[in-house]
Amino acid sequence: MTDAGGSPVLRTRGLRKDFGKGEGLVRAVDEVDLDVAPAETVAVMGPSGCGKSTLLHILGGLERPSAGEVMLAGSRLDQMGERALARLRRTAVGFVFQAFHLIDELTARENVELPALLAGRSPRAARRRATELLDRVGLADRAKFLPAALSGGQRQRVAIARALSNDPLVVLADEPTGNLDSAATLDVLRLFDSLRSTGQTLVIVTHDPRIAATSDRLISMRDGAFTGETRLTGSARGARGGLGALAGLEG
Amino acid sequence: MGRVLLVGRLAARDLRRRPATAVLMLLAIVAATTTLTLGLALHGTTSHPYDTTRAATAGPDVVAQATLTRSGAQGPLPVDLAGLDALTHAAGVTASSGPYPYTFAAMTAGGRTVSVMVEGRDQAPAAVDRPDLTAGHWIRPGEVVVERTFADTLGLTVGDTVTLGGKSYRVAGIAVTAAIPPYPSVCWLGCYFGPGVPSGNLPGLIWATRSTARSLAIRTEPLSYLLNLRLANPAAATAFADTYNTTHRAPNAPSLMSWQAISDQDGLLVANEQRILSTASWLLGLLAVASVAVLVGGRMTEQTRRVGLLKAVGSTPKLVAAVLLAEHLAVALVAAAIGLFAGWLIAPLLASPGAGLVGAAGTPPVGLSAVGLVIAVALGVAVVATFVPAIRAARMSTVAALADVVPPPKRRGWLIALSARLPAPLLLGLRLMARRPRRAVLSVVSIAIAATGIVAVQVVHASIDQGIGNSSVLDNPQNNRLGQVMLVLSVALVLLAAVNAILIMWATVLDARHAAALARALGATPQQVTAGLSAAQVLPATLGALLGIPCGWGLVEAVRNGNNLAAPPAWWLIATVLGTVAAVAVITALPAWLGASHPAAEVLGSELA
Amino acid sequence: MQDVVLAMLAKEPSHGYELRSRLREALGPLGEAMNAGQIYVTLGRLEKAGLARSEREPGLPDRPDRKVYALTPAGQQRVASWLSEVTWPGPAPAEFHLKLVAAAAGRLADPMSILDAQRRELLRLLRDAQRAAMDEPDGSAAGLVLEGVTLRLQADLRWLEACERHWAGRARHPGGGE
Repeated sequence: MTDAGGSPVLRTRGLRKDFGKGEGLVRAVDEVDLDVAPAETVAVMGPSGCGKSTLLHILGGLERPSAGEVMLAGSRLDQMGERALARLRRTAVGFVFQAFHLIDELTARENVELPALLAGRSPRAARRRATELLDRVGLADRAKFLPAALSGGQRQRVAIARALSNDPLVVLADEPTGNLDSAATLDVLRLFDSLRSTGQTLVIVTHDPRIAATSDRLISMRDGAFTGETRLTGSARGARGGLGALAGLEG
Repeated sequence: MGRVLLVGRLAARDLRRRPATAVLMLLAIVAATTTLTLGLALHGTTSHPYDTTRAATAGPDVVAQATLTRSGAQGPLPVDLAGLDALTHAAGVTASSGPYPYTFAAMTAGGRTVSVMVEGRDQAPAAVDRPDLTAGHWIRPGEVVVERTFADTLGLTVGDTVTLGGKSYRVAGIAVTAAIPPYPSVCWLGCYFGPGVPSGNLPGLIWATRSTARSLAIRTEPLSYLLNLRLANPAAATAFADTYNTTHRAPNAPSLMSWQAISDQDGLLVANEQRILSTASWLLGLLAVASVAVLVGGRMTEQTRRVGLLKAVGSTPKLVAAVLLAEHLAVALVAAAIGLFAGWLIAPLLASPGAGLVGAAGTPPVGLSAVGLVIAVALGVAVVATFVPAIRAARMSTVAALADVVPPPKRRGWLIALSARLPAPLLLGLRLMARRPRRAVLSVVSIAIAATGIVAVQVVHASIDQGIGNSSVLDNPQNNRLGQVMLVLSVALVLLAAVNAILIMWATVLDARHAAALARALGATPQQVTAGLSAAQVLPATLGALLGIPCGWGLVEAVRNGNNLAAPPAWWLIATVLGTVAAVAVITALPAWLGASHPAAEVLGSELA
Repeated sequence: MQDVVLAMLAKEPSHGYELRSRLREALGPLGEAMNAGQIYVTLGRLEKAGLARSEREPGLPDRPDRKVYALTPAGQQRVASWLSEVTWPGPAPAEFHLKLVAAAAGRLADPMSILDAQRRELLRLLRDAQRAAMDEPDGSAAGLVLEGVTLRLQADLRWLEACERHWAGRARHPGGGE
């Protein structure tokens, strides 16, 4: 569950990640400081190659930083061993990927069960949780479908359900709508919205402004570094009738 | 013609690009072809040394043996010397020597006491059966001559002293004979271990004076007699012996053995070797099919992309399949040639019957039919292993090949449900196996074949151990030779199976990269993923090792020549199974670990960094 | 167009033909489509509205193309408020681009902050449009209109990102012309 009391769920200081060395050194993440409060939705936007995916992988313990601190729920990720990181991924982090990464030969429900089974829960408990989550994402009637029989948006919703399986502290989404058309994107947006209303902390990396528009905080990233931050609170100036104007209606 | 040339050129270029795969395939098939060549070469080459010995020793055409019978309704019956006498005058007999008395006694030599068969002889050379001295001179009073194989086993040389019946005798010479099979096959004539004769070893033959033999008999056991006959028609010796044996049925009547029967007995070692080699060549052939299938399986999936590219030069998936087939046939042909050559070289070593006969076995003939068979088998291995993938490739449409669509693995609901109940490593391992059932089957098959070989060897050893006289007292050179041959073949089987296991593991790791990365992202530790990847190999290996037990027993059953089989001790079998499983776990550990430690982010990350 | 010309005058007083050549340069091939006389008409209107004034250069005949134009205080105020305007639908691409060009050339404002502010506003509008769309049942007519709105907003946002990249590059390597 979310951390009550306002201390950040996720925190980085001076985060750096280099690939290669010498002449071929590429600095994918450059001195990034980030704080994510509980129940906050943070979007990181930037062009291709700006290092936002790498940043997300480091936040989830899938990649090790070259320098700097990463703290998740009080534990220092940069100092943990592989086994501890795996345990962390099991309990505190849920990943959502652009390519969905569902297992083709498993049904939707079996895909969602997987993290619970890997964490050692009983098959019955895992199944119960999976059914509950599929219901939450609105795919209860498709529990027995294989991914090939699901649309892109449905597959991503299954992936989101899977990410929620172990009740993570934070959900990390890497270009979640990258492979989806606008109708499917809307479904995923609705889902993210409902997650936010239940207090789930979200960190989303995207270059899609539609996702960015739903966040509480929008961070721009370029060449590995944060270039600016925007709070999208407040209503749009001229929103009253603004949408109408956009649609071409006068007055 | 142009197409054939094109296929040939493409095949050659492909082979050059992947020398390692070609070499592995070659090795797998060479093992099978060499063994097959040896088996064929040894078939029917055993008579030559015996013939040389027969000529050198004026060997008999028929040996008649008269012993005292101990049991029977009438009580003990005396030795039928009259019958032996009658034989010397029988129709068709042109010469004879003997009857010579023989008995079994205890002999002490070099600190060891062993049982021996002592044949009493005259000092003058006999008309039939003149043992050929390879060292020293013939017997004199107070001296003995030892049969060569026996002398080698005991480590006796001319001038050594042995003790018989309390008296010392000098070893005057070492000789070979064609009348009695050499050590350790003397008991083919029939041995009796009376009181005072140690039964811890198979006896060997020594020649002494008639008085020596008789004196030993008084102490230890009654005398029996051997009579050597020469026939007018040596070729009819078997018929002569059979006729006599069937017409003279009294319990103490002399029994006759033809020189052909003795020759067969002498050739038994080589005959056993040949049987072992033929059987092993089947096993190695099957293993070669599995190896080639493993090597081919990986490559076919890469070829699909190639097919699309070849379309640009106007060719088809069928061409790719033809190229692949051509490559493998070429490798098989080379393997056949190497196997034939190696077999031809090694055969004399195996064909030599040991010290008991003079005359080299010479280079056994490898006839044209043998050559043809070996080539056919090698090509057969290549075709069988390549057939199914090649057909599938040939039937694939170019569009599908260009799209490079990998069909999703078939879903096995029961396996998924089962694996859900198991801990994480087994869950991963079972599901990985389910994706590529063909590979799992190949795993089981290769380990099963190796285990079958090992268990068969164990059964043979156990059966030999149970037989008379194979104990710690004396070496049995025949069993040693057989043991060596079986050892080499076992090592070959194990090595090839191990290579297969490694190759399959690598292929699994490459295929499983995505699944492993995903599992790690979902919270599986690297140790769990390593164990899972390993389990995908270890589980089939366990099944294969267990299958090897009944198959190994069945194999020996199928090829034995009438001897009773003994089951190996249970702990040998348990050790085999556990050892196989442990070995597979160890050799697959490194690839599995590498597969599990591959950075997950790389595999899962989106294309936009 | 009027606001653009005003912003260009903010840099320095100029002749009509100077303004025209600067516009042509800033617009590239699109500049060819510009009517030659358009600039003088615009300048005349600005003068009439009191946002600009003209002066005749001494010693030259009294012709429009020989006048020097400059901003009035009212004109300066207008420029300042135009630069900070973020309402949408905003100026067409050409005009918005010229806004940035003029701001940079006259050092009136940082193009990056103009872009940032505009982007923020567009994102807020996108968010509102999406919320409205989510409330609509699937397949409703209103939903269709909202989809049109969001698609255009996305397109505009993409273009703003491209502008941002360009101007960020310009900031790193100054020394180009307008």
